[in-house]
Amino acid sequence: MGIFKRNRTSLSDKQPLTPLGIAGLAFTYIILIAWSIAIIWPLFEMVLSAFNGKQESYLILNSTFEFSVKHFKYLFTETLYLQWVKNTIVIAVVTTILTLIVVSFTGYAYSRYRFTGRKASLMAIMLIQTIPTFAGITAYFTMHSILESLIPQFTRQMMLILIYTGGGIASNTFILKGYIDSISMDLDDAAKIDGASSIDVYRLIIMPIARPMLTIIALWSFIVPFMDFLLAKILLTSPQTYTLAVGLFTMINDFRTINQPAFAAGGLLTAIPIVVLFISLQKQLVSGLTSGSIKG
Amino acid sequence: MRVILEDIGKKYEGRSEFTIRNIDLEIKEKEFCVILGPSGCGKTTLLRMIAGLNSITEGDMYFNERRINRVPPKNRDIAMVFQSYALYPHMTVYDNMAFSLNMRKESKSVIDSRVKEAANLLQMEEYLYSKPADISGGQRQRVALGRAIVRKPKVFLMDEPLSNLDAKLREHMRVELVRLHKSLGTTTIYVTHDQTEAMTMADKIVLLDDGKIQQFGKPEEFYNKPENIFVAEFIGSPTMNMLDGKIENGKFISENGIINIDPKDEDKKLLREYENKRVAVGIRPERFKSDPEDKNTFKATIDVVEMLGKEKLLYIKLEDQSELVVSMPGYYEYSAFEEHKFGFDLEALHFFDRESGKRIN
Repeated sequence: MGIFKRNRTSLSDKQPLTPLGIAGLAFTYIILIAWSIAIIWPLFEMVLSAFNGKQESYLILNSTFEFSVKHFKYLFTETLYLQWVKNTIVIAVVTTILTLIVVSFTGYAYSRYRFTGRKASLMAIMLIQTIPTFAGITAYFTMHSILESLIPQFTRQMMLILIYTGGGIASNTFILKGYIDSISMDLDDAAKIDGASSIDVYRLIIMPIARPMLTIIALWSFIVPFMDFLLAKILLTSPQTYTLAVGLFTMINDFRTINQPAFAAGGLLTAIPIVVLFISLQKQLVSGLTSGSIKG
Repeated sequence: MRVILEDIGKKYEGRSEFTIRNIDLEIKEKEFCVILGPSGCGKTTLLRMIAGLNSITEGDMYFNERRINRVPPKNRDIAMVFQSYALYPHMTVYDNMAFSLNMRKESKSVIDSRVKEAANLLQMEEYLYSKPADISGGQRQRVALGRAIVRKPKVFLMDEPLSNLDAKLREHMRVELVRLHKSLGTTTIYVTHDQTEAMTMADKIVLLDDGKIQQFGKPEEFYNKPENIFVAEFIGSPTMNMLDGKIENGKFISENGIINIDPKDEDKKLLREYENKRVAVGIRPERFKSDPEDKNTFKATIDVVEMLGKEKLLYIKLEDQSELVVSMPGYYEYSAFEEHKFGFDLEALHFFDRESGKRIN
C-alpha cells in the first residue's frame, strides 16, 4: 500500500478512490468520450465538406481536401440563401416578441391572481400540450383561408408565426409561472404600499426579476423557426418565402438543385445567428438574481 | 394619526371560521403600539388589514376621522417593513429607497435629498449604490427601514422586522427603532411574537390570541396585572407559576394540599365570592421569599439549578413531584437535592377564576 501514501496535504473533501471507484470513473469517462465523438464527428465532417473545394454536387467521404470557399460563393450567388436567412430571422424575431409578450402576461396572471377556472385552465393547457402541434395542420389551413379572405395581406409566413407563438405559449407559461411563484409575494405587497399599480408591479418588479427565465424563453422561441421543418415545408409553397430549413432541404432532396457541400456550408452558417444570440445573452442567462432580496 | 378599529373581523376566502373577530382598538397619535401573540393568532392578518393588503370582512377602520375600509394601500399614507425585508433585488439601495417617491412622481432633487437624508439617519451612505445581495442582513434591515422613512408616512407598520437578526444586533436595533419612532413622530404599529420586544419597545401592547384581544394596555400592566391566565402565562420569562386549588375559609389550598396561602386583606375581600370554588394563583418566579420564618412557607427539594449570572433559576419539586420555578439572586448559594423552605410575597399574588380564566384581584 506504500504507493498510496503521499506526503502532500490533500485539499479534496472526498474520500480517496478505491480500485473499484477508479474502474467506475474510467468507465464513465469512456462513455462520455464516445458520446462526444458521436456528436462532434458529424459536425467536423460538415465543416470539412463545407470548405472542401474537391467536393462536387454529391458528398463523397474520405476524398482529398483542398481549402476553398466556392460552396459559400455558390450559396450566396446561385441560390436564395440570403432571402431564406432574412425570412427565418424575421419569423424568429416576431415569434420571440409575441411569445414574450403573451407568456409574460399569462405567467404573471397565473402566478399572482386567483380567478375562477384558474386550476381548470392550467390543467387544460397541460393536457393540450401533449398533442403535437402538427396534429392541427388541417385546422391551420382552414384558419389561414378564413383569415386570408378577411385580410388579403395575411400571408402564410404570418400564419407560421402564429402557430409557432401559439405552440410556445403553453409550456412557457408553465415555466414562467413556476419562476414567478418563487418570487416572494412580499415584493408585490411592498410595491403596492409604495404606490405601484398592478401593471407597475409587473413592469418594474416582476419582469426585471424574471429576466433570466424570460431570456431562456426568448432563446427557445427564437430557435424554433430555425429548427422546424415540417410545418414550414407544408405551409410555405414558393421558394421566395422559404425558411432556412426548407430552403436548404432543396439542396439535398431535389435533383435539379442538388448541391450537398453547399448544404453543409449553409448549415454551418445557420448556426451563426444562434451562437451570436447565445453569447450576447450569456450574462442574462446567469440566474441567481433574486438571492439577497429576501433574508439571507 | 390615530388608528381606530371598530368591531373588525376577517374571514379568509374558503374558510368557515373567522381568523380574527370583534377587534376594538384605538391607537393614539404618535403611539408605539405592539401587537403581540403566539404564531397563528391573527396578528399579521390584523396588520395587513391596517395596511390594506387584506380586505376587511366586517367592522370599520378609521385613520383619524376618515373611514379607510376600501382605500387602497397607496392612498393610506402608510409605510410597511416586512419580516423578509422585501427589498427589490434588481435595484440598488438608492433605487429601493427612491421607489415610492418615483411612483409618486416626485422631482429628482426632492427624491435625492430625501434618500440622502434617510441614508444619513441610518448610516447607510456608503452602501447607496450596492445591490441588496451585496450587503449584510443588518444593512438590509436598515434599507427596509429607509424605504419606509423616505415616504414620511403617517403610520409606520412593521411585521416582525427584527426576527431575522442575530441576538446582539436585535438588542441594538430595538433601541434604534424606538429612537427612530420618537424622532419621526409617527404612529407605529409593530407586530411580534417576542414578548421582550413588546415589553421593551411598546407604549401600548395588544395581546392577541385565538383571534381575540386578550389584553390592551401598558407593558407594566401586562406584567403586574395580567387580565387572565393566558396573559399571565404568556408574559414573563421564565413563565409565571400557576397553582390550582380552591378557597376554604378565606385561605387558598392547593389541589395537592401542600400549599396553604393566607392572602392579604384586600384579596380576601375579593375572594369571598369564590369560597369553595376552583381558583388558580399565579406567582412570578422572582416573588418567592426564602425567609423560613414566613407563615405561608412550604418545603421543597431543588431539582436543577440554572445559573444565569445575575440570577439563579431553581427548579424545585414539591413532595408530590409537582414542579415550580423560583428565581433567586445569583450570589445566593444553592445546589441540587437540597431541601429549602420558600414563602410567598403576598403583594405579588395573582388570583384567577379557574372556570373563566379571568383575574379576580
